[in-house]
Amino acid sequence: MSDKPESGSKPFDPLEAWKNMRDASLEAWAKTMTEAVNTDAYARTTGVMLDTYLAASAPFREALQKSMVQALQQLGLPTRADFESLAERMSNLEMRLDDMDAKLDQFAQPRAARSKPKKAKSA
Amino acid sequence: MTGFQLAPEAIAQAEERLRKLTRALTTRAAIAQTPKQVIWTLNKAKLYRYLPVVPAEKRHRVPLLLVFALMNRPDILDLRPGHSFVEFMIHKGYDVYLLDWGSPGLEDRHLKFDDYTLEYMPRAVRKLKAVSGFEDFSLLGWCIGAILTTAYAALRPDDGLRNLILLTAPLDFSNKDAITFGKWTDSRYFDVEKILAAFGNMPAEMIEYGAKALRPVENYIGNYVRLWDNLDNPQIVEAWRAMHTWVTDNIPMAGATFRQLIVDLYQNNRLMEGTWTLRGERVDVRRIRANLMTVIAEGDHITPSCQSESVHQKAGSRDKELYRIPGGHIGIMAGSGASKQTWPHIDTWLGKRSA
Repeated sequence: MSDKPESGSKPFDPLEAWKNMRDASLEAWAKTMTEAVNTDAYARTTGVMLDTYLAASAPFREALQKSMVQALQQLGLPTRADFESLAERMSNLEMRLDDMDAKLDQFAQPRAARSKPKKAKSA
Repeated sequence: MTGFQLAPEAIAQAEERLRKLTRALTTRAAIAQTPKQVIWTLNKAKLYRYLPVVPAEKRHRVPLLLVFALMNRPDILDLRPGHSFVEFMIHKGYDVYLLDWGSPGLEDRHLKFDDYTLEYMPRAVRKLKAVSGFEDFSLLGWCIGAILTTAYAALRPDDGLRNLILLTAPLDFSNKDAITFGKWTDSRYFDVEKILAAFGNMPAEMIEYGAKALRPVENYIGNYVRLWDNLDNPQIVEAWRAMHTWVTDNIPMAGATFRQLIVDLYQNNRLMEGTWTLRGERVDVRRIRANLMTVIAEGDHITPSCQSESVHQKAGSRDKELYRIPGGHIGIMAGSGASKQTWPHIDTWLGKRSA
């Protein structure tokens, strides 16, 4: 037997054959799964699982939250609610500043002038 | 003896592949590299202006504002150097701006579409106008960003919006059989209030799971098999790593916005029914007057084409184009064919309307 393959024919590559088989099975599996997740049965099942998880974990979450708030208050540290309230105030302040910025822009560039294209800024 | 001589080579090869695999899976690619500057901020939102590379006199007159989804980072628009929509557009002479919504914290759980559309967007647009010096502008909205831009275009048709580009826009939720997300979020099975009571916002991990579970085998197995098969091709590995970096970096969605998305849109289709109101104003897509291009990805499993078609018929714009393109929800803008098909088409359409 010659070491060289005959012209026009490829040597048998077991790895390539395995890859082809793998790809074909993945493709078939992917099609089946895509169809499976697009069913009411899947939607119902995941809904039940999610509800169960949320219901089961709720007491632990609430207990953790309460104990955390108590611990922080005893240590004289701000709680999540304090930070949230502060963040809301900051956002309101930012909006006020943005309003002022808008007014300044209007003052700097009166509407009449702005209707004409400005000279573009260089990078 | 031959076997013993080959073995070390084989081992070295296997080691090298393992090193490449570990690097691809555990390190983050440098994405969103195009130079930009922050020109406006509000809460977590930032408005960026990309530094132009084309001289001012050769640039298109009308600036372009990009608005991406709320639950993913907008870095996909500027994925990696040489393969970035933003980079492509600035080289084509556009003055490009990007509205990055940022990652909402618990303090933002009350933020609604109303706030994003009628508080954040008008302010960002005002700043864009002040910086660019032009009253007209173009908007490109992708995915949930397309909901925001559609609502904005309908509610503020006199605000200078000249061109509106909607990419894979989930706007019509009437065809329940075709929309897998619609099935999952059916009110019989999915209780949005329970999730928000538990977490405040919609957690990023749950959003990521939802997106991947639409095509579980491709996302959880096929994706990694593809990487393994191409470990010896550095270009494919780098592209994979960049996409993996983006895909695994999701952000939560503000609770009240998520409630509107599910109840108002997925469950009740209020936008297309013409009954969706934001801050008391009804969103009527017939009021959209901007030139409109709707881009539909024919292989989109997240936003099937039926979700984007009806806005095209209903919008009041006189200049409309519906552009269908083969590819998936993300692939049409970030896949290997994007720079040859989608981006040039957007440039051609927008260029003619940006003088």
